[in-house]
Formats: sequence, structure tokens, C-alpha cells
Amino acid sequence: MNRSLRHAFDAEEVMAYLDGELEPTRAAALAGHLEHCAECQSLAKELRLVSGRMLNFEIEPAPANLGPAVLAENAANRAEMTKAAGSGWSGASRWWELVATRKVWAFGAAFAMVLVVAGVASISELGRLRNPPTELAATDSREPAPASTYKSWLSDESKSQLQSRETYTQQRERSALSSSLAISQPMVAPTPPPPTSGGELAAPESVGPMIVQTASLSIVAKNYDEANAAVQKLVAARGGYIEKLDAQAQSGDSRSLSVALRVPAKELEGLLVDLRKLGHVEEESKSNEEVSAEYVDLQARLKVAQATERRLVELLGARTGRLEDVLDVERELARVRAEVESMQGQSALMLHRVSYATVQVELSEEYHQKLQSQSSMGTKLRNALLAGVQNLLDAIVALLIFVLNYGLSILFWLALFITPVWLIWRRLRARQLAKSGSSFQTT
Amino acid sequence: MNTDEQLILAFQTGSRESFAELFERYREPVYRFFRRRIDHAARAEELAQECFLAVLRNSARYEPRSTFRSYLYGVAMHMVYAERRKAGREVSENEKLDRRVDGAGGAVTTDAGIWVRGALEQLGSDEREILMLREYEQLSYEEIGALMRLPVNTVRSRLFRARMALKEQLVPAKDGD
Repeated sequence: MNRSLRHAFDAEEVMAYLDGELEPTRAAALAGHLEHCAECQSLAKELRLVSGRMLNFEIEPAPANLGPAVLAENAANRAEMTKAAGSGWSGASRWWELVATRKVWAFGAAFAMVLVVAGVASISELGRLRNPPTELAATDSREPAPASTYKSWLSDESKSQLQSRETYTQQRERSALSSSLAISQPMVAPTPPPPTSGGELAAPESVGPMIVQTASLSIVAKNYDEANAAVQKLVAARGGYIEKLDAQAQSGDSRSLSVALRVPAKELEGLLVDLRKLGHVEEESKSNEEVSAEYVDLQARLKVAQATERRLVELLGARTGRLEDVLDVERELARVRAEVESMQGQSALMLHRVSYATVQVELSEEYHQKLQSQSSMGTKLRNALLAGVQNLLDAIVALLIFVLNYGLSILFWLALFITPVWLIWRRLRARQLAKSGSSFQTT
Repeated sequence: MNTDEQLILAFQTGSRESFAELFERYREPVYRFFRRRIDHAARAEELAQECFLAVLRNSARYEPRSTFRSYLYGVAMHMVYAERRKAGREVSENEKLDRRVDGAGGAVTTDAGIWVRGALEQLGSDEREILMLREYEQLSYEEIGALMRLPVNTVRSRLFRARMALKEQLVPAKDGD
């Protein structure tokens, strides 16, 4: 049946007309059409028949006890109506159950995330602790004890001296912020040192700035052996010494030499000039670090510590008291002496760094194409195949090691993550299925 | 006579009588709505009561953008879905209407009623719901569309399909043309 060819109205419009859903003008036209169109009349009749038959699905009257509870609630406290979904309504309860479930899941997921983040953070922290930066550790060992530590054993007088010095130091720090030197040191003293009441903190022996000089050179030499020998000769001639030497000479590759030299500071410039002659200088850098402030500070603290040491010794000799007190004083004395020695060591080290400049020389040989025997195609292929097999084996072993190392952890985390996600997904899917493409709108 | 919308707005401002009147108007229709969709008469009665209580307690949620009727049946429909989910029934194309032949006392067991129920069972869930909302709840196409979040044209075409399918079952041997 092709109604559209024979009728100005389609079947749905006839139905809409019967339902009172057709717009007035269209409805009027269709009413006129219906009067003389037998086919449309038949359709209308069928539709009415269906609607009529559907009414046979009758329902008994609502039970009498449906009303009272609702009306009682209505008559009850009006204020409650405006509250959010109240208790007692099971529909609302179910809704809240769903929300609560969502919240629980959200909380669970968030908790899992926190666990993972904490886990990763702790693992990386563990790794960091296992491999502490050696440079930092070395620095720490050289650093003086924190102020709070050594202050504790100072006499009141010394403390006052120290306090005045620290105050001075702070003032200096504020006024001399432009100096970027020695900022890494916890205690910075200026040059000259601050005047104190006892006059014990005298100026250091050295006059003028104390500078730690460091230079680095990267040289490419045509004749590696000659250059190598020349470096050692030059250093010896200028009264220096080799602190560290690292030579590399891999077969078929250029040789290289990495030397850390120490030469008297005044010989540095001369040495650099000589070194530049050894070959082509690819890179050169030089830095000067002023450590006057650190040195003065160290000296000042050393003097204070020595003064304290002397007083403790006097105290120990002149006074008598209980054994306990004597032991306390001795203990303090031992600590002070340890500090004094430590600071003396630092002082000597610093002087050495100032008086001997450090030169880092990277000497490498000019690259030559290595001579290679011309191997046949077959040999090349065979070698490639062997290398390939070796690579494959290495990869398999690496994979196995990885799986054995981390497999269990990965499984654990996956289980922790995927289980709740899967459960949530299943729940959402069930809900979507339940809606089955149809939903409703409450407003 | 006040419209439903006037009554619910009056109730929002505190008129208890307005709600009582709304309840009287919809007591039977809402009960029938649940009774046609829920297996057990007692449960249908409970749900009808809960539906009114929900509307009563959440009256502030009603906004005059839609008719009160569609709002009320929206709440009712939501409860039906929730009930079906709770019962763990698979509500999909294959979902069957409640079989009430052996239902509680008072359930209709006439042959014609059984036939209609059986015929409705043959429809897809959307078509069946649209047809029932139209025939039993007397909702307009627009109200059904708003309730089921469907365009009016879709509602109309699905309603037509549902009616034609029902007609085929009514007179299977006879060609409609």
C-alpha cells in the first residue's frame, strides 16, 4: 500500500488526528478528507478499534488504604516538605543508596590513587636514599657543625662574642648581597672580621682576596703520545701534580685522556699558555671562586673554639668539684677539641685550594679512520645474523629479568586498579541496560 | 476549577488543600499506572503511595515549565525503573510485562484483558511504554516525548508502529488493506 500517492495525508496523520494531536488547519482538512475516503475511514476505524481493545486491560480500583498515609503526611509538618529527600521514602532511599554507592566508589578510587602516588613517591625516595649524591655527602662532611650544635657548649662569654659576630655577619650579608660567592656556606663572615670586645677574632694571615681558581681545557692533539707526555712534564716543571688521570684507548677509536691537575695558583696562567700549544683547543673555561668570607668566618669560629678550649682547660685545672661535673667538663672539652681540629682541617684545605689551582684537561687524539679489513658480503651477513641472535637473546633475558623483577608488583597494582574500575563499569552498564533506551524527565 | 499546575504551585506556597485535591485527582490513575506495570498488587499500591509522598516531599523541585501530569508520571516512571532494577530483572527488548493472571485478588482476568496484555508483551519496550502512556495515562505526544526524552515525531511514528502491530495481532488473518 502506498498511501502517499493516493492520499494527501499519511497514516500517522490520521492517527494524530484521532488523538487530537494534529494542528487545527491540517485537522480540518483531514476531517473533510475522511468524509469521502473509504481507505482512511477504514484506517481510522482500525485505530479506534485498537484503542478500544486496549481499554479491556482494566484495573481494579485503588485500595482504600492508599490515601490515608499520603494525606496524613500532607497534614503533618509542612516544613518537612521543603527539606531534601527525607527518610522513609524508599524511592528516595534507593536514590541515595545509588549516590552513596557512587561516593563510596569515588572515595575508593581516590584512596587507591593516593596509595599509588604514595607508593611511587616512597619507591623513588627509597632509591634516592640508597644512592645519595656523593658530592652533597662530601660537602656535609666538610661543613662546620650547625650553629645550634656548637653554641650549646660555648660559655656565656663566648656566646655573646659569637652573637655579636653573627649580628655583624647578618648585616654584612644584607649589604653585600651582590656578592654571589660563598652563598652556599651556612656561616659567612666578611673581610675583615668584625671587631669584638676581646679582640680575639683577628684578621687572617692572608691579605687580599682568597680565590679558588679552576680551569678546564679540552684539547685535540695530533700526536697523542707526545701531548700526553708533555702534559705530565709541564705540570712537573711548574711545581704541580696530577690529582687524577683517566686514559681511554679503545681499539679502533681515538684515544682520550682526562687529567685533573693541581698547580700553584701563580703558575696557572703559564701552564694554560703551555697547554694550549699542545693542540687545537676546542673548549676552555675558567672560574674564580672567592672564599675570603668563608675563610674569615672559619678562622673566627676557630678562634672562639680555641678560646673556649683554653677556658675549659683552665676550669678543669683550677676548680675542684664533683666527679660528675669534672666529667661533664671533660666531655665538653673533647667536643670542643674535635671542633677545633675539624675547623683547622677545613682551614688547611681551603688554603690549599686557594694556593693550588685546579686544571681539568681533556686531551683527545685527532680522529683517524680506523683501518678495517674488507670483509666479504657473506661474512658481513653472518656477522649481522650472529649479532642479531645475540641481540634477541639479550632482549629475551632483559625481558625475563624485568618480568621477574617487577611482574608481581605490576600484577598487584593492576588488580588494585582494575577491580574497582571493572565493578563500576559493570554497575554503570547494568544501569544503562535498565534504562533500555528510555528514560524520563521529571521537570 | 483550578488546573493541576495551579494546585501544585499553591501547594508550594503552603496550601495543603491543594495537594489533597491533586491526590484525589490522581489517586486512581497513578495506582493504575503502577498496577499495569508491576507484578504484585500490594507492591503497586506501595509504590503509588511512595510516588505521592515523593511528590509531596519534593514539591519544590517542580517547575512550571512542564505539566504537573508529566512531572508526576516522570516520578512514577523513575520508580518503576528503580523497582525493576531492584528486582534484578533484565529490562530490555525482551522484557515481559508482568503476568497477572494469577495475581492478587482484584486483578482483571478477563479474556480480553489477557489478550491485550499478551499483545503488549510482543512490543518493544519503548513502543509499549509510549502506547501505554498514550492509551492509559492519556498523555499528549509532547508529554510522552518529554518523559522519554524523545522527539515528538519519534513518539508519533513509534506510537503508530505500536498500534499497527497491535492491530495485526487483533486481526492476524485479515489484511488491513
